[in-house]
Amino acid sequence: YHHLLMNEKTVIHERFLPKQGSLQEMPGPKTLSNLVEFFWKDGFGRIHEIQVQFSQNNYGKIFKSHFGPQFVVSIADRDMVAQVLRAEGRTPQRANMESWQEYRDLRGRATGLISAEGEQWLKMRSVLRQKILKPKDVAVFSEGVNEVITDLIKRIHTLRSQEEDGETVTNVNNLFFKYSMEGVATILYESRLGCLENNIPEKTVEYIEALELMFSMFKTTMYAGAIPKWLRPFIPKPWREFCRSWDGLFKFSQIHVDNKIKDIQSQLDQGEEVKGGLLTYLLLSKELTVEEIYANMTEMLLAGVDTTSFTLSWATYLLAKHPEVQQSVYEEIVNNLGKDQVPTSDDVPKLPMIRGLLKETLRLFPVLPGNGRVTQEDLVVGGYLIPKGVSSLCHYATSYEEENFPMANDFRPERWLRKDNMDRVDNFGSIPFGYGIRSCIGKRIAELEIHLALIQVEKAFPSIPTLCIHLQESFKRFGSD
Amino acid sequence: MAAPGTASLLRAAAASSRRWLLAASRGAAGRPSGDCVAARTPGRFFGVSARARLSSEDKVTVHFINRDGDKLTAEGKVGDSLLDVVVDKNLDIDGFGACEGTLACSTCHLIFEDHIFEKLDAITDEEMDMLDLAYGLTETSRLGCQICLKKFMNNMTVRVPEAVADARQSIDMSKNS
Repeated sequence: YHHLLMNEKTVIHERFLPKQGSLQEMPGPKTLSNLVEFFWKDGFGRIHEIQVQFSQNNYGKIFKSHFGPQFVVSIADRDMVAQVLRAEGRTPQRANMESWQEYRDLRGRATGLISAEGEQWLKMRSVLRQKILKPKDVAVFSEGVNEVITDLIKRIHTLRSQEEDGETVTNVNNLFFKYSMEGVATILYESRLGCLENNIPEKTVEYIEALELMFSMFKTTMYAGAIPKWLRPFIPKPWREFCRSWDGLFKFSQIHVDNKIKDIQSQLDQGEEVKGGLLTYLLLSKELTVEEIYANMTEMLLAGVDTTSFTLSWATYLLAKHPEVQQSVYEEIVNNLGKDQVPTSDDVPKLPMIRGLLKETLRLFPVLPGNGRVTQEDLVVGGYLIPKGVSSLCHYATSYEEENFPMANDFRPERWLRKDNMDRVDNFGSIPFGYGIRSCIGKRIAELEIHLALIQVEKAFPSIPTLCIHLQESFKRFGSD
Repeated sequence: MAAPGTASLLRAAAASSRRWLLAASRGAAGRPSGDCVAARTPGRFFGVSARARLSSEDKVTVHFINRDGDKLTAEGKVGDSLLDVVVDKNLDIDGFGACEGTLACSTCHLIFEDHIFEKLDAITDEEMDMLDLAYGLTETSRLGCQICLKKFMNNMTVRVPEAVADARQSIDMSKNS
């Protein structure tokens, strides 16, 4: 009986419930008002606000609603989120990705980590996680990332010199967008794109346009997935744009992968030893087909650009708004690292404030407002029986709860510092990268790119405020694993 | 959809010496891809022969107390991680090591004896972050995928924490009540 006492409170609670509530009994908005909210009041762009409003004011920590035509059970409680994530099986499903799969079927493309499901997903995940998820495997990318950071700093100097006051960078997110793209391409394609050059190569310009189209269309394309197929002849634009942006993304990836194939071929022809990074390994090992490599390179690149850039933008914005925090971050760098040393991943453990800064930034401004999980069997959560279907985990709401984070609205990176190595926090309250076998596969790469960039930007420009103007909200899209 | 010539290239690559595969894999990881120092080489590229040469001196015996209280005893090599031992010896611990040692979950959470815990290698930030999310955390908890066998661990006992009281279980309990 002892173990029952250790169980999560929700489960203990359930044990003494005479029976579980059904979905009919679960609170939530009426279907019609919900649809109006979603389609006419820009519900997609306000997911995070609606989450907090519904959970704190209207319906409690577990409620049902419609996300377009999709029925969703929203869970805005740390312990219930933990319960659902811990119950996941071998091949968890995040969300309904039918529209992504439909495009791939239409064009004869393979699915990648974001769009694939089941055993097909697991096969690819098993290969890729052994290359880009372990911290020490990712540590070797430090050198390549640092080369990109050198160009970033150079670019900031150039942009500042072009301004009247010689200081301001007017579009920080655009700058970080290019940094993130260059960084992730360096790792994925083992080649530079030239995003941070004064004259960006034509092919890269085309790709940036395809990416921007994808992101600008993202909301529309989410609606594209939400619009039933039979309505498409009447509202053709979202689906057409959706396909057009995917065409551009796949084309770009294919160019880079094919170039690498040619390189390897010519090295083999000349009897040279073939050496390389991630893409070379994937092509030579044949664990994935070439089509699967195209698809994964496309999806991982897509997933690794605006996610990283928005986070960097928010982090610098928060530093600019809180000079006292910026000062302590700067002092930590100078004291623990020295002014002239170029940091690598080995140095990050010496800078707990940098790690705290990233965690706190993602708590306040998570790239995704929720983690999706489609329940793969019947579950009892919060006293309700949720049949196989969709549940959505609201991490934006949980990361703003006082119970989980005292003074939750305040920016306090130091809340993440540990007193010592035994200092633990039971915290499913803020899991911006998700948890478990379907969590973000780019987590360690993103951490590396963001930690190292923040250290270097902070070192080069101890006074950030003038850098940060024109930030936009980041809750405009769903990201990926 | 693949560009013409791709298939033939890959056949060529496969037919050519394993030297290239090795170079590529080292390039990606920068060092042997095992979790522990110089012990595990990627099984895909090396035969069993290299392992067989290890003498019995390099063996470490570990006792696992499973969730149901059963004791599972297994032998591993110095340098193997505890996750390697569970996988290699097919130990029946439900849901153990779901993310294959990539520090994305905390299902290989193990509880150590005090005198062993004190001597374990320092914990990394990444392991601490994942341990924060482990169920049934104790003062002497670590993730099995990060702990590599050393001689002093011979005959140690590690405990698998109580099962997560997940939703499926609570359904059963309610049926019984």
